Amino acid sequence: MSRSFLESTTVGFGRAFTRAMLSETTAQQRGLLQSLDPRVRVVGLFALVLAVELSRKIAVVAALLVVAVVMAVASRVSIFTLAKRVWLIALGFTGVIALPAIFVTPGRPIAALGTVAITEQGLRTAALLVLRVETAVTFTTLLVLCTPWSHVLKALRALRLPKEAIVMLAMTYRYVFLLVETASQMFESRRSRTVGVLKPQGQRRMAARTAGVLLSKSFALSDNVYLAMQSRGFRGDVQVLSDWRLTMWDFIALFGFLLAGSFAVWMGR
Amino acid sequence: MHIPDGYLSPSTCGVLYVGAGAGWYGALKRVKRALLGRVIPLISVFAAFSFVVMMFNLPLPGGTTGHALGVTIAAIVLGPSGAILALSIALAIQALFFGDGGITTLGANCFNMAIIASLVAYASYRLIAARAALTSRRRVVAAAIAGYLAVNAAALIAAVEFGIQPMLFHDASGTPLYAPYPLSIAVPAMMIGHLTFAGLAEAVISAGLVAYLQVADPALLRATSGVIADGDDARSTAPSFRRLWIMIAVFMLLTPLGILAAGRAWGEWSPAELAHAASSASTTGLAPSTVPAGLQRLASFWTAPFPAYAPAFVHSRGFGYLLSAMFGIGIVLIFSLVARSLAARSRRKESSA
Amino acid sequence: MTPLFELRDVCFDYEGIPALRGLSLQINRSERLALLGANGSGKSTLLRMLDGLCSPSQGSLHFEARQLTAELLQRDDFALPFRRRVALVFQNPDVQLFNPTVFDEVAFAPLQLGWSREQVLSRVEQTLEYMRLTGVRDRPPYRLSGGEKKRVALASVLVLDPEVLLLDEPTATLDPRSQSQIIDLIQEWKGSSKTVISATHQLEIVEDIADRVILLEEGKVAAMGAPAEILSNNELLLRANLVHAHRHSHNGVVHSHPHIHSHSKHEH
Repeated sequence: MSRSFLESTTVGFGRAFTRAMLSETTAQQRGLLQSLDPRVRVVGLFALVLAVELSRKIAVVAALLVVAVVMAVASRVSIFTLAKRVWLIALGFTGVIALPAIFVTPGRPIAALGTVAITEQGLRTAALLVLRVETAVTFTTLLVLCTPWSHVLKALRALRLPKEAIVMLAMTYRYVFLLVETASQMFESRRSRTVGVLKPQGQRRMAARTAGVLLSKSFALSDNVYLAMQSRGFRGDVQVLSDWRLTMWDFIALFGFLLAGSFAVWMGR
Repeated sequence: MHIPDGYLSPSTCGVLYVGAGAGWYGALKRVKRALLGRVIPLISVFAAFSFVVMMFNLPLPGGTTGHALGVTIAAIVLGPSGAILALSIALAIQALFFGDGGITTLGANCFNMAIIASLVAYASYRLIAARAALTSRRRVVAAAIAGYLAVNAAALIAAVEFGIQPMLFHDASGTPLYAPYPLSIAVPAMMIGHLTFAGLAEAVISAGLVAYLQVADPALLRATSGVIADGDDARSTAPSFRRLWIMIAVFMLLTPLGILAAGRAWGEWSPAELAHAASSASTTGLAPSTVPAGLQRLASFWTAPFPAYAPAFVHSRGFGYLLSAMFGIGIVLIFSLVARSLAARSRRKESSA
Repeated sequence: MTPLFELRDVCFDYEGIPALRGLSLQINRSERLALLGANGSGKSTLLRMLDGLCSPSQGSLHFEARQLTAELLQRDDFALPFRRRVALVFQNPDVQLFNPTVFDEVAFAPLQLGWSREQVLSRVEQTLEYMRLTGVRDRPPYRLSGGEKKRVALASVLVLDPEVLLLDEPTATLDPRSQSQIIDLIQEWKGSSKTVISATHQLEIVEDIADRVILLEEGKVAAMGAPAEILSNNELLLRANLVHAHRHSHNGVVHSHPHIHSHSKHEH
């Protein structure tokens, strides 16, 4: 199957928008995670990802996966969506990487496939890897699905990340969509003027030219944005607004997250 | 090449976060000094641009497709510090928002793909392009090679990060806790994909973009053109050392040849070897017949980290030689860079006092 | 009375291409001015210069009898009040909408100028209501329509209650309803103390938004006067590339004369 550069890249662009849309609709639902202060969400979910990383026992990581699924359901995230967009993709990638480990890891052989032996250590390491990857990515996805991007950034700011970094993350995200739109329009006009499918060399040239035009536009854009920022008072040290108050529920939830995480680490040591 | 959560141990992630943090801090300071307020819109928009370029599914010679990083064009247009920041931001958004790459491993991914790749891309491009005219074909070739090298350097570091996991992090029964493959598997496995596909993709897009800019907007290539700005001594010395660098690189690649020589070089014996030699004929006839008292006493005084140029975890002697050579050159480089900057600082203090 | 802005023989080059070539002009307080000119005549450059975003390469620009220079704008004691009093709305709203949400965008300017949290919040709410944007306050820019983007761009400067409004093509690319909304706003300011300077190439809106017209041609002032006077001078308009003349037909008659394609009718 040879999909032209245009088609496959455009599909990739579409993914970005659907992801953003999904995040927006989910963030507006009234669920468990959505009810928490964004800072608690960020700290809590990071803590659980860390717990996934620190645990050494398969059972503990599996338990954390169950916790993730429960949180997803409580936050009105459909399991089907999670499975389709997150689990299957991660499984495809990590599964392929983990599979040979079953045979290759030295240790106590359990079964034999012809001349190749499956070791107990191999099975355990593959399971551990796959479970870790799936659980961690579930937590991260939950955070992003349930929190608008601007809130994620404000939460990071509250956690003492330098404000230049926050502003750059915000602006980059905002302009990604503009550039994707511009690139899509260039592809559209290119597609309408091309008869048949271009040869790979032609496609490469078009890719480079599209990227080149995008690059020049990016520079012009950044120049103008800088002027617009200055026009509204920006003098080099950006000022941002922080506007959340923690409630009792937030403290309880935060405590819960940290407790669960520490428990998991202790059990899995 | 985006490493997801779960492949690297927390301590590895921590170490790489510290390394990345140092890179970010240095890059931010340099860029702010050069650009002041402009840094925010410039880096942001460029990060958005790299993000979009990373999504291009490029058709490669040979019929496959691959994705580029955009790190080389970033280094060429913005310089290494700007590239470090722009790529790091793009990677952060990919990790946080799209789940492409983990958040515990964000430090590692930035270290590999934003920092190491930018530095390699910048250094190779400057070395190869030297002072060629902005619109010369040489710059296009330089960009292609720089891109290829940068991506493969990043892949190599990532492979090493993977490869040391099973040795360092396993449970009592020997089960690897994170990435399960040792260096001997991780390195070839990673490198094959990148030497062929990803490296080519980066080379293609970097060359294509430089060629485009040469026609459409050559001013954007000026920042790293080797045209010396006033009062900037650091850059003026780099081109004249070019032949020296090439020589060092060639010699470094030739170091494993030493393995071919049989026996021990004269005078480089350890006490054990001398004792053994007395009963074998593998050393030259001029070796002392007994172990000298001084050698016996002092031989255990110092244990080298890389005894016999072979780090413990490397099984291939040739590779061990190469790693040792890179490591040694790296240490000398860092030392001389620090010495030079200290000297420059004291010179500046003198001239301004 | 001293003019609000005064330009004397101002020249400006943009990357080697001259944009303004010896432009002299006086702008008075509370005027409603239209800068007319084809693309490339220097309108945008002039507006940016009036907002202190670029400095003349030759000649001088004065604001309230003080020369506006880059050095003067580095000083906070001048820059902060200036940025509050003079506001520019860019031609391309995407350039001006660089914050994550509409609310953040409108809040940006007062935050940078050091207003207190309460002031910022209340003023932003007021402005969002005034511009009828409360429904989209949490939307990111890429989910706004063209008209909404323009209104957000306007809101982002109106929040400061500026005295001078510089509008670069305020109605270009907008659908008729959004256009009329913007024109209504500009008409509201007639008689107020606000000075409004709009750059446009759309002749049909000029009478609605201005009391005086400055015609720019190749970086210089080509003509100046009341809207009726300038708009009826077809020769001038043709030369400035603001109208065109080609054969067309209506009422079954084929003829040619200077005209623009718009909603307004013309007699023969």
